[in-house]
Amino acid sequence: MSQKKPQMQVEQKVPENIVKKSARDTKLREAVAKRRTERLAANKTRRAQWEKTAQAYENEYKAADKNLVDSLRKAKTEGGFYVPAESKLILVVRIRGINTLNPQVRQTLRLLKLRQLHNAAFVRVNKATIEMIRKVEPYVTYGYPSRAVIKNLIYKRGYAKINGQRIPITNNNIIEQSLGKVGIHSIEDLVHEIVTVGAHFKEANRFLWAFKLRGPRGGFIAKRRSFINQGDWGNREDLINDLVKRMI
Amino acid sequence: MTSVPLVSVFSADDSTKVTAKHIPLPAVFQTPIRPDIVSFVHTNIAKNRRQAHAVNPQAGMQHSAESWGTGRAVARIPRVSGSGTHRSGQAAFGNQCRKGRMSLPIKVWRRWHRRVNIKQKRHAAATAVAATGIVPLVLARGHRISQVPQIPLVVEDKIESYEKTTDALNFLKRFGAFEDVQKVVSTKVVRAGISKQRGKKYRVRKGPLVVYFNENAKLLKAFRNVPGVEVVNVTRLNLLQLAPGGQLGRFVIWTQSAFAHLDKLFGTYRYASVLKDGYQLLRPLLTNPDLARIINSNQVQEKVQPAKTTKVLHDVQKKNPLKNTKAMDRLNPYAKKQRAAAVAAIKANTKGTKKIKKNKALKKASKAAFNKVAASLSDATKAAVQEEQDIKVKYFSVQKGAAQAE
Repeated sequence: MSQKKPQMQVEQKVPENIVKKSARDTKLREAVAKRRTERLAANKTRRAQWEKTAQAYENEYKAADKNLVDSLRKAKTEGGFYVPAESKLILVVRIRGINTLNPQVRQTLRLLKLRQLHNAAFVRVNKATIEMIRKVEPYVTYGYPSRAVIKNLIYKRGYAKINGQRIPITNNNIIEQSLGKVGIHSIEDLVHEIVTVGAHFKEANRFLWAFKLRGPRGGFIAKRRSFINQGDWGNREDLINDLVKRMI
Repeated sequence: MTSVPLVSVFSADDSTKVTAKHIPLPAVFQTPIRPDIVSFVHTNIAKNRRQAHAVNPQAGMQHSAESWGTGRAVARIPRVSGSGTHRSGQAAFGNQCRKGRMSLPIKVWRRWHRRVNIKQKRHAAATAVAATGIVPLVLARGHRISQVPQIPLVVEDKIESYEKTTDALNFLKRFGAFEDVQKVVSTKVVRAGISKQRGKKYRVRKGPLVVYFNENAKLLKAFRNVPGVEVVNVTRLNLLQLAPGGQLGRFVIWTQSAFAHLDKLFGTYRYASVLKDGYQLLRPLLTNPDLARIINSNQVQEKVQPAKTTKVLHDVQKKNPLKNTKAMDRLNPYAKKQRAAAVAAIKANTKGTKKIKKNKALKKASKAAFNKVAASLSDATKAAVQEEQDIKVKYFSVQKGAAQAE
């Protein structure tokens, strides 16, 4: 009775499911780490690519500007005229609300993505679209946007249509996923496509949701009149840029 | 062969002694617990003991009341005919009227009873029996069973021959069931409400349920005066007793023969019931309810995909890249270089601008002019100017000193 009881030999046995779970967790963690390193490496190459293309576009734009200036100068010295090509791109801004609209006008505005007041959208210039815009002329103002305005619109007010949802363009993955297959990988690619109305303008423009602009700081002149008649609606050619800068 | 849970049969005289060591548990106790079936069946079957009652059909209508119609500045409700009493001219008949009949008076032909499908009733009974064998359920129902040696409690048939209540009481005490009886006794309260004047004075809890088999058993008389205890033959198990209030887990004391009879009554999973024609015990939805084990099994884990991201595109807040440099660099890595180039260009441009040169020249010229004027001043003015300068210096140094002192 006075003897001490021998110490029980307890083997440190780990329950089977804990062993399994830890093995599984290690495997998952390794997979995640591997994916991460791969992703980071891929991102690095992609970013380098974006930078390269952006630089190429900058040079292209500079060259285009220089070309224009040189052509004008040359024409002047020769005593002739240089008429630059008509713009292939139009920026349309809706300036009328939704009440009391002719159904055809309503439908055409809808087709131009202008469902709301102060919505803006890019439109390619061809016979079909010219006719459409003519139909809705009293309800919109439009003109030929400058490169800077296009860039600012897409950067500041650029939203994408993905799965029918309006998604902000916060990184180039969003563009890559939708437009990668047509060769537009970054936001600069997108801007370039719109500016130059390239081969995939359709996809690029469809990707963009209508720009929701604010009302112009300083106001309109008179929405009831056409621009030609000291008003606002209709074609105002290059002066659309001044208006949109006040609306961005 | 799967293992079958086993149960011991206890001796009636000595709770520590076991007369039959390992009896297999009847299959009823393995049925899935279906509180939904039990509560449905219970709510309906509980209505079957009701007695018809009704309101007197003539109540409130024993007048020759008639409406006075319009044009008399009173409501159009029927009014009591006659005169000579307060009651005449008062409103009658309507449910809204004082002394009027109630709206929709209760009729005796109200549907008091409910029929329930036999299969549902049988499933409910089986589930209720199964629940009596589950300790947490019995505890949750509120029975005091901490001293009971085994749940389900099976005792030899000797108790069926008890005639004296003292025998019954001692038996309950021996098996730790008396605590439950004490609970019943101590919690007997006068009922709140009018029903106490209608024959339901006390609210009494339910105690143990004793289930016997042999019809000639005398234990009914022995146990029936013990508060809370109910006695029932196993062939007449009642859901209202097995799951009082629709709540599963009555504390049941089985006699050995009653316990053995359960297999014939309810059948097993291999054989349909003998006594309930064509009845087969309910089968569980899951044969293995251990979800943790299933989820962590190899078969499931092999197929498991990594967790999908719940990050949604539209929940990212948009930052204006034209103002936010980080947002800009994320979108256009070339922007950094462009900014740097712009800054460098400004610097390069401003280094030798005409404007700066002009400013420098102006400064030089004005200083020369001032010195010229200063030189041509008289000595007196010079002294005055000097004095002013000294005061200024002193003033500013005092200020400085005061500031330093603070």
